[in-house]
Amino acid sequence: MNADDWLRTLTAELHQRRVAADAARHVVAEAATHLREGGGDPWVVFGPPQQYAGAVVESIGTAPGPRPGPVRLHAAGITKRYGRRTVLRDATLTVRAGQIAAVVGANGCGKSTFLRICAGLMSPDAGEVTVSGRLGYCPQSGGTADFLLADEHFVLVGAGQGVARGPARRAGRAAARQLGWEAGGDVQARHLSGGTRQKLNLTMSTLSAPDVLLLDEPYQGFDQGTYVNFWDQLSRLRDAGTAIVVVTHLLNQLDRVDIVLDLTPAHETGWHAPGIQGGRP
Amino acid sequence: MNRLVTVAEMTLRELLRRRGVLLLLLLMPLTFYLIRRDAYLGQSVRSLLLGVGWAVSTAALFATTAARELEPRLRLAGYRPHHLYLGRMLGLWTVGLVISVPFFLLPIIDGADLRYGGLAAALLCSVAVAAPFGMLIGALLPRELEGTLLLLTVVTVQMLIDPAGSGARLTPFWSSREIATWTVDNTDQGYLSRGLLHGLVVTALLALGVAAVASVRLRRRRHLRHLPVG
Repeated sequence: MNADDWLRTLTAELHQRRVAADAARHVVAEAATHLREGGGDPWVVFGPPQQYAGAVVESIGTAPGPRPGPVRLHAAGITKRYGRRTVLRDATLTVRAGQIAAVVGANGCGKSTFLRICAGLMSPDAGEVTVSGRLGYCPQSGGTADFLLADEHFVLVGAGQGVARGPARRAGRAAARQLGWEAGGDVQARHLSGGTRQKLNLTMSTLSAPDVLLLDEPYQGFDQGTYVNFWDQLSRLRDAGTAIVVVTHLLNQLDRVDIVLDLTPAHETGWHAPGIQGGRP
Repeated sequence: MNRLVTVAEMTLRELLRRRGVLLLLLLMPLTFYLIRRDAYLGQSVRSLLLGVGWAVSTAALFATTAARELEPRLRLAGYRPHHLYLGRMLGLWTVGLVISVPFFLLPIIDGADLRYGGLAAALLCSVAVAAPFGMLIGALLPRELEGTLLLLTVVTVQMLIDPAGSGARLTPFWSSREIATWTVDNTDQGYLSRGLLHGLVVTALLALGVAAVASVRLRRRRHLRHLPVG
């Protein structure tokens, strides 16, 4: 990681930890000046960006986070069976505006199934889901058209909401830029790398300005910088009042979320996440 | 209307970028025509029409299969099922009409003596039937290989079945064959009327089939309740 990457990671960390924007800018500018004038490896001078961000938070504190708003998604008693196998039993999750919920669990425990049920793409055997407002969904893979350009994807999604072509293209490109991707090129989706294709996928799901955003492990193929940008964007959306549900198996990100729903059967693990909701008994 | 046109446009764009597929779309009816060229002209024209029908059906099958994962998210983005299947059908009909033009001109260049109005009507019927036919197979069979094999079976049956037999009327492209007979053999008007009616009915039934499958697959599920933002 070079100095620029280190500074970018620090910026994202400060943002995630809700350090006031002005203070965060000041800290990053000071660190950049120090590195430019004094030289040296930022990892040696300041240590890991996460650790340095932690020290900054201890020193200057954080801005108060916005209070969670009204309930945007309420999934109650979701049960799903495939033949004789029950993959979800009585799973319950409530997410308010301005909250991020993580759905975690072992492989095959029904994380994606749960999300598809919440999106209304699959019916459960029992339970119901209530959604307030517009729904956005980003699948784990697929969900794009191989022979279309990124701009054409934006136009296609935008037309669904009655958005004209120009504004849809501009909104798509702006959302892609938040993930560090310049989307205006002349490249068909099939020629994009796996990570860039996922950026397109993610951008499409946020394009309709959803009130509830459902993300099924959307970061597959992301490099470190994009991964940081991704969580940074999630924080921005949360602060803007979006209710977000993200399926993840990366437990190191759980300190950045407000709610955790663990779908791992209780007999398979002794681990319990903080703020756990629902799941299986 | 804008949503319908956008889906049609994107279907068209996708197909036009598949240059290999386009080449094969053109090559298939041409081969069908040339392979029977030395024999009786009627067989040659009928093969051409079947080739156009098969080519457009195959394109429809592949377009439908490719859109399978995209459609649910477009539904969430504000599209209704009819925007998606009608838009796609519109795009495929347009592609079908475009590739029909050289095959309308081919017998003219070849100096064939036939009723060209009939040839145009037969081509229209082929294209009209082929788009919803390929889409229906694509909607019912999620994998391309199974769909392609089923299409192959139908076209083979269409080729080999006795057109005068009652079973022939159950095959999707019987209409264009009937109109082709009127076109080439100067038969009575009944062939043309029967063919047009068959084409119209089969297209409508296939389109209804596509609509039914799409409406079930992309339906709003009962467990999900939408509330306005409070």
